[in-house]
Amino acid sequence: MTTLEQQPARGEGRKDPWSQLLVKVGKSRDRQAYHSLFEHFAPQLKYYAMANGMASHAEELVQEVFVSIWRRACLYDWQKAAASTWIFTIARNQRIDMLRKMRRTSAEMHVETEDLWQIPGEDDNEPVTSLHRLMSERRVRESLKHLPEEQITVIAKVYMEQKSHQMVADELNIPLGTVKSRVRLALNKLKVILQDQNV
Amino acid sequence: MTRHHPESLSLMDYSAGNLSEPYALCIRLHLDECSLCRSRVDTLDSLGAVMMEQQPKVSVSESMFDSILARIDSSPAPQPAAKPAPKISVLQKLLGEDINNLPWKRQLGDVSVLDITEKFPGQNEQVVLQKLVSGGKAPAHTHRGTETTIVLQGAFADQNGVFNQWDFVVLTDQDEHTPVAVGCEDCITLSVLSAPVKLTGTFTRMLNPFIS
Repeated sequence: MTTLEQQPARGEGRKDPWSQLLVKVGKSRDRQAYHSLFEHFAPQLKYYAMANGMASHAEELVQEVFVSIWRRACLYDWQKAAASTWIFTIARNQRIDMLRKMRRTSAEMHVETEDLWQIPGEDDNEPVTSLHRLMSERRVRESLKHLPEEQITVIAKVYMEQKSHQMVADELNIPLGTVKSRVRLALNKLKVILQDQNV
Repeated sequence: MTRHHPESLSLMDYSAGNLSEPYALCIRLHLDECSLCRSRVDTLDSLGAVMMEQQPKVSVSESMFDSILARIDSSPAPQPAAKPAPKISVLQKLLGEDINNLPWKRQLGDVSVLDITEKFPGQNEQVVLQKLVSGGKAPAHTHRGTETTIVLQGAFADQNGVFNQWDFVVLTDQDEHTPVAVGCEDCITLSVLSAPVKLTGTFTRMLNPFIS
């Protein structure tokens, strides 16, 4: 059941509702909060699995992600990542992990999936840069509103359909250079591009 | 603090989970030591989350939540603190040894290599560790395809500058270089090759990436 949490006063206003629910799951194993997260994220995750070619394992992926959310919620730090970002990275890792396990035996796996792909906000040594990160989440959402459709289309294919830039170029029948410049323009808006790597 | 970082497009492919294991390893090793790129990847992960949110939703079967509850009830959640693994573990796990104690194969004077492609079954790239002894020099060469390198120890310098530990370098068939190990440590790098190296000098019989 829900308990009262002690939050830094200035932080309360910045925590989005999903992150609040996830904190409750982590701190007090709150099943109602867990169910709300399920209602919100499960249909997104199912589409994610289907879009990237795991149609026959889509529900399995959703289940694995949610079991993982339950188990890892205690490691979640809302000051380091928003719940949606954290859940996205768990879904990504779970997808990679399922595909790896389908393709080869455990004896062939020298490193774990999570040795290669990190989950934000679970590293105790990382200094809290909450302001920066939560701003970045908000900034992403804001920036996307102003991006041209053609840039969003390309990025969606990379994230949702796991397409390489070359595959996106082939599918949209545009040169590879055009795909890359669309991505760079978008990433420039999101301030991901470093100054010396500018467009 | 490293000064040579992965390109934004590569970080996006990493965030999207689209990289093969050898490339993901290079990025991960860099991220472990570079807070700047970690925050770039955080932003990209948020981009992934927002993308997922903006796509269509597909309803899941009615019984799914109950099956999930049944699963979490049948195995208790592990306690926190069980998780965080020490940073060195990725390379250690992969190689089973300190990088200085590996069965290096001497290629020419200053260069030793160790092909670890077999550690990445089912991947298309060649993965090679290279060691250039302190003060040593590798022969001039170019590359076929792309070579992605991360410095694991020491530093090397070439026409493009100095590359220190955890720096990230991508070279293509347009680049010819003659790396020299600088500093008092042997320089050890991890390279992922999309196609074998092409030697430009007199060392035409050898396949040697430091030479990278």
